[in-house]
Amino acid sequence: MHRDEIPPGTLYLLILKTLARSGELHGYEIAESIQRISNEVLQVEEGSLYPALQRMLIKGWVTAKWGTTAGHRRARYYQLTEAGRKQLAVELSQFERVIGAVARVIEAV
Amino acid sequence: MNWLRELGRRLNMLLHRRQFDADLEEEMRLHLELRGEQQAESGTEASEASAAARRRFGNPAVLQQKSRSAWGWEWLEDCSQDVNYGLRGMVRSAGISVVALLSLALGIGANTAIFSLMDTVLLKSLPVKEPSQLVLFGNGLDEGISDGFPNRWLYSYPFYREMQKRNHVFSDVAAAFSMVDKVHGLVQGRSEAEPMNVQLVSGTYFPMLGVQPVVGRAISEDDDGTQGGHPVAMVSYTWWTQNLARDRSVLDKKLTIGLTSYSIVGVAPAEFFGTKVGESPDIWIPLSMQKEVPPGFDGYNDNLFESLHLMARLKPGVSNAEATAEANVLYQQILRGFSGVPLNQKTLRELDKTHVELESMATGFSRLRYMFSEPLKILMAVVGLVLLIACANIANLLLARSTARAREFAVRRALGAGRSRLIRQLLTESLMLALMGGALGIAFASVASRVLLRMVDDGRMPLHLNVALDMRLLLFTLMVTLATALLFGTIPAFRATRVQVTDSLKEGRGQAAGSSRGPLAKVLVVLQVALSLVLLVGAGLFVRALMNLRNVETGFNKENVIRLRVDPSSAGYKEDTRLENLYRQIEQRVSALPGVRAASFSGFTFNEGTWNNAIWVQGYPEGHRDIDVHHNAVGDGYFVAMGIPVLAGRTFGAQDSATSPKVGVIGETTARTLFPAGSPIGKHYGRGGPEHAGDIEVIGVVKDVKYNSLDEEQQPGDYLPYSQNVRYLDSFEVRYSGDTGATVAAIRQAIHDVDLTVPVSDVTTLDERVARSISNQRLVAQLLSFFGLLAVFLSCIGIYGLMSYVVSRRTNEIGVRMALGAEPAHVLWLVLRESLWLVAVGTAIGVPVALAAQGLVASMLFGLRPNDAVTLVGGVVVLLLLAAVAGYLPARRASRIDPMISLRYE
Repeated sequence: MHRDEIPPGTLYLLILKTLARSGELHGYEIAESIQRISNEVLQVEEGSLYPALQRMLIKGWVTAKWGTTAGHRRARYYQLTEAGRKQLAVELSQFERVIGAVARVIEAV
Repeated sequence: MNWLRELGRRLNMLLHRRQFDADLEEEMRLHLELRGEQQAESGTEASEASAAARRRFGNPAVLQQKSRSAWGWEWLEDCSQDVNYGLRGMVRSAGISVVALLSLALGIGANTAIFSLMDTVLLKSLPVKEPSQLVLFGNGLDEGISDGFPNRWLYSYPFYREMQKRNHVFSDVAAAFSMVDKVHGLVQGRSEAEPMNVQLVSGTYFPMLGVQPVVGRAISEDDDGTQGGHPVAMVSYTWWTQNLARDRSVLDKKLTIGLTSYSIVGVAPAEFFGTKVGESPDIWIPLSMQKEVPPGFDGYNDNLFESLHLMARLKPGVSNAEATAEANVLYQQILRGFSGVPLNQKTLRELDKTHVELESMATGFSRLRYMFSEPLKILMAVVGLVLLIACANIANLLLARSTARAREFAVRRALGAGRSRLIRQLLTESLMLALMGGALGIAFASVASRVLLRMVDDGRMPLHLNVALDMRLLLFTLMVTLATALLFGTIPAFRATRVQVTDSLKEGRGQAAGSSRGPLAKVLVVLQVALSLVLLVGAGLFVRALMNLRNVETGFNKENVIRLRVDPSSAGYKEDTRLENLYRQIEQRVSALPGVRAASFSGFTFNEGTWNNAIWVQGYPEGHRDIDVHHNAVGDGYFVAMGIPVLAGRTFGAQDSATSPKVGVIGETTARTLFPAGSPIGKHYGRGGPEHAGDIEVIGVVKDVKYNSLDEEQQPGDYLPYSQNVRYLDSFEVRYSGDTGATVAAIRQAIHDVDLTVPVSDVTTLDERVARSISNQRLVAQLLSFFGLLAVFLSCIGIYGLMSYVVSRRTNEIGVRMALGAEPAHVLWLVLRESLWLVAVGTAIGVPVALAAQGLVASMLFGLRPNDAVTLVGGVVVLLLLAAVAGYLPARRASRIDPMISLRYE
């Protein structure tokens, strides 16, 4: 099955939205969640999730703490902060603006 | 505030890097495991599952690197890596690094230390109000009391008052006694008198300079109105700190000096050290009190008691020329109008010719400046040259090193290192070298400036200089060395990194990027050789001059003599028989001590000043010029104590008393010039005018002695017994054998036994006195030798480095030559010839420069004729020998090349 690369610059948005929806998740769950909800269309190069998460930690959009998975494994769980919520709104409106513009260009006769 | 919190998070990460790495690794491992399990569940083979998971994940190492670099500390890690690598490189080539570091440290340190001293002694402005307006009458070099007429160096108090009253060009005129009085004073509430230096000043001194006291008030014109009526004192900040711990109640304290008690009225500001550089008085007292301050000068109303330095502040808008013109008109008017001055044909003729110069006093004035400006300038030039040589050397070393590393860089580029990363590596290494050298240089400078200061002190006057390291020059030298290191450390780096990787790897280390190094390196070596020859010859000259000085016949035996000062004037003694008895008792007691051969008081010993007067000889033809003679008042044991040989007649004894006929002992030169015919014994002379020519009978002739310096011309002198010339005697000499410390203690005890209240100070040996008097010359000779040898050493390293490089480059060629039958001796000569050629060119440039430089310093070279061939030839020979050794080592290596190995070499 063919999987599309995610559009550049939208990785933050996807992670933020995913966390906003689900609360606490670890890295693997975030990757899984993005693929599942996009009906397996959006393929995250899974490793690149981690540098992105680090950058988000620096910005203070997410926090991380260690917890235990259902299978009793140690995992690092990420959670959205207040700043992350604000950033999600910013990213969303930016994304909608761009998509809207792209749509207008390709729909124009 | 967001960025602040972000910075906090970044810093937190920096501090917990190990934890960070572990967390990240665990997180990724979990991800891979979970993905692998998920793949396995969906039916993939177990071995295939984890590979698939890895494919989907990407390269964990790269991703970890990316995650880490997100935090922005990559540069720091790179940097510490560079530093680490650089340090390892430095340790690997320890020899080169040590030489480079040492030459940098010495270059920077010596320049900074010597410039700092030069700045303090020669250049720094006085810390007073608008120092550029201040002028000094004369040059301030003369110190003491004179009755010469006319005198344009020292002035009397009445002259100062007249000049102050009559002039229209100065906003004010002030006067200061030309010497500090070394007295012992008692601080109220203490039991023992302490040594202190008193400077007598006019009431206008502080107001004219514009110096504001930090506590209390300054000495003012009101304190200088009537003779003897103003027992007030101002103290220096240093004295206040050291003696009273900056006690605010200082103004309630009294200070007893001699028989007078002074009220302390103020404390001078910390930066104010007086007007004479190198002489920081502890106490200032108005000139109106000069008779009360020991030794009790009486010049307040004496037109001919010329003892003051005169200084003035120009009115705004008045030029130095205008002021000089008016000051000279007034000078003539005032002196001609004085009562009691010897106005006769001769003095009037001289007065007509006398012109007073007004010198700028912006930087103060000093005997030090006169003595040290030449040596300091020479040293400054020398260390400047050494810095140049050191820079050339570092340039050469770095050039050689980075050329040799061309291959290493090619390998690193091939493995994927970025060009900018490599250049940054080289920059880091150069910077490290320069900064480490700089740090060592600063440490060296602070030690060196203290040593220099000790060496500058000739022990004649208390020397107080506050030498702080000069930041401007430190910065400058640091910049020069940094620039050198960066330039020569990185230019080859650019060249090396531009090289095509494959070419360089193919070429190997033989030829890579080396061809362009030749001319620059050779020019550097030639320059080094020329400069070091100049320094070496200069050092040789000064060492030889110093040896000449050391061999000068002093006329006395400087070994085994303790010399100290006894200060009865501070204990209230007057110049009368009580003083004479004190001296005699102390002499008797000390002479009786075990191990003491003789003890005697005297006005001075070597390099402590002189007492000069004209003398007249009885029966000498009419109209002869009176001759200035160095007098000394001494005790009976003086000639034995000093070891001055008696050539004819006798010396003083118990028969010469205040009531017996006046007698004197004269030196050889006096005997020869004033008593040319027959034996002088029994003849008469006198001082104070022709009418006194029969006063003193010559009873003995002794060997000539040196008075103030070893390089002075032989001067006429005489000795008078203090029993017939009662006065304060500043020096006490004891010839002894055995332990110095124990003898000093015994002498102190003996003096205390005679009178407990008489202070003893300035204990030293005659040997030390003599040594101190040439500290200046010794300093220059030692430093020049050190720097000269250093320069030659650095040059040899330069030659060695260059030739080693040449040999390694020509290994192939030499191998071919030898395979074709060249003799090892021929190869040796081939390589040696090249280095000798460089040295020859350097010498050819250096010799004329050395000759020219010698002309500049000729006046400082005691006992050497200009163009001293011995030193020049010696310098060239030493340089050639050392350079030959430096060139021989690589040449020998070349001659031992095995053709088989060398042809396989690349």
